[in-house]
Amino acid sequence: MSFVSIQNLEKTYAGSPVFKNINFDIARGEFITLLGPSGCGKSTLLRCIAGLTPVDSGRILLDGTDLVPLSPQKRGIGMVFQSYALFPNMTVAQNVAFGLRMQKVASQDSRSRVEEALRMVELQDFAARYPHQLSGGQCQRVALARSLVTRPRLLLLDEPLSALDARIRKHLREQIRSIQRELGLTTVFVTHDQEEALTLSDRIFLMNQGRIVQSGDAETLYTAPVDAFAAGFIGNYNLLDAESASRLLERPVSCRLAIRPEAIALSLDGALDGQVRSHSLLGNIIRYRVEARGVELSVDVLNRSSADLYPDGQRVSLSIDPTALREVA
Amino acid sequence: MSRAEPARSAVYHRLVVWALFLVLLLPLAGTLLYSISTSWSASLLPSGLTFKWYLALWSDPRFLTAFAQSLLVCVGALVLSVLLILPLLFVVHYHFPRLDGLMNILILLPFAVPPVVSSVGLLQLYGSGPMAMVGTPWILIGCYFTVALPFMYRAITNNLQAINLRDLMDAAQLLGASTWQAAFLVVLPNLRKGLMVALLLSFSFLFGEFVFANLLVGTRYETLQVYLNNMRNSSGHFNSALVISYFLFVLVLTWAANRLNKDKT
Repeated sequence: MSFVSIQNLEKTYAGSPVFKNINFDIARGEFITLLGPSGCGKSTLLRCIAGLTPVDSGRILLDGTDLVPLSPQKRGIGMVFQSYALFPNMTVAQNVAFGLRMQKVASQDSRSRVEEALRMVELQDFAARYPHQLSGGQCQRVALARSLVTRPRLLLLDEPLSALDARIRKHLREQIRSIQRELGLTTVFVTHDQEEALTLSDRIFLMNQGRIVQSGDAETLYTAPVDAFAAGFIGNYNLLDAESASRLLERPVSCRLAIRPEAIALSLDGALDGQVRSHSLLGNIIRYRVEARGVELSVDVLNRSSADLYPDGQRVSLSIDPTALREVA
Repeated sequence: MSRAEPARSAVYHRLVVWALFLVLLLPLAGTLLYSISTSWSASLLPSGLTFKWYLALWSDPRFLTAFAQSLLVCVGALVLSVLLILPLLFVVHYHFPRLDGLMNILILLPFAVPPVVSSVGLLQLYGSGPMAMVGTPWILIGCYFTVALPFMYRAITNNLQAINLRDLMDAAQLLGASTWQAAFLVVLPNLRKGLMVALLLSFSFLFGEFVFANLLVGTRYETLQVYLNNMRNSSGHFNSALVISYFLFVLVLTWAANRLNKDKT
């Protein structure tokens, strides 16, 4: 049996549905991600699981018991917020101890658990500091320790990395994942960043306009998008309408076509002629904008050496891996 | 532009600031000097210095009573406003954020109506009948409450917006705190700054309030400003001592509040 089971969850706000007919299961110890653009309902869904926002109908089963009638205090859920939500009037240690204080855990026991939690996020030397004396990344690690110290049955992460700069984000991402694995903690992560979702999750639920569009592991979501939205949101797919696709492939295509930019190869002699319009360097990848038969395509090429670089305006040949073509609704 | 320009403008800026400071300080310095002079009428400088006016003032039971009554009315009004406005603000910002717009209009009303006008209305309403309060300190406390409302509301609202109330409440509740515990342990300590600023502003304003006090209560419950008004025909030295005492009291209070409000590091 699954550890968490969301059944027919529905939420309406001011007359219009935020989400409806949400169904999914999470296994014990699984790390799942709700991925989607802002306003797709993913954060509201998370708040509903936490009990901070009431649902209209449906059930949220955690280990067999329905959470919906329970107040947030009684759900045994830990949550980390994008804004950290640390208590500014308390030291790091007091922040982490807050949950234990509410549970009336004996001070001896509490102290050792706070120490342990801070050690886990590598902040044991910062116990006496106040939140305003910490950097953003440190704040978020305190918030993580604070939510872990009460040993929640389910951990919710609401865009915890979005307010941080790129380098710290990457480091904290790995730290979250390793702590989650170590504790075997069932986790729901909310993000709008596809890279975060792809690298962190056991499974991803892609959401759009209040419904789950596609779910599966990172591999499935990346290589087999079910529709144009999924293709547009994950990866940097070239999305062609039927007419452009027919022109490009010189055969009739009846629906939209998605081609991954790395599934197109460039060379100097081949069948399909094109011209480089522009290029940008993304580190280990060069992304070309290439026009062929009146269709403009993104093409990603591994950045091997600057000698291989095609200048703008260069005439090139394209070859498209036929197995990488995906027809999408 | 030449390089000398910034230096010259800095001198100019400093000059303006000092000139302004001087203009503001001059009447106060004059009053101070007058309050400690034996007599000062036909000469350029006072003929002698003395503390007798202060001694006379601080041993006048009528003054001490007025001082205490002013304190009582102000503190009463402020306690009332804290008790009412804090929960109100909390409810508005946590549960009904859209009411903030309406509240912003409501709290401007005490400013929109001049005290002389609203006193007439208050005299009508509370002069007789079941709610006859004119002439008692109670009407002054109620009235001062409405005067303090805008100061309190604005200062605390700014503070609330700075602390991200919703996330703090949510985090506290998920950690097992009841709404009351979250409010008292997490939100209230973080409103200390805004609250102190609000209280200080309101107190200084109310302590010097004259129109309402004079019209609604007058000599039946004499406050400091009414006392000052009633003493206007006595010695100017005496009145100067009163003004300086009043000023020093507010100054010391402000300084003390600032000290208490310092960040712990």
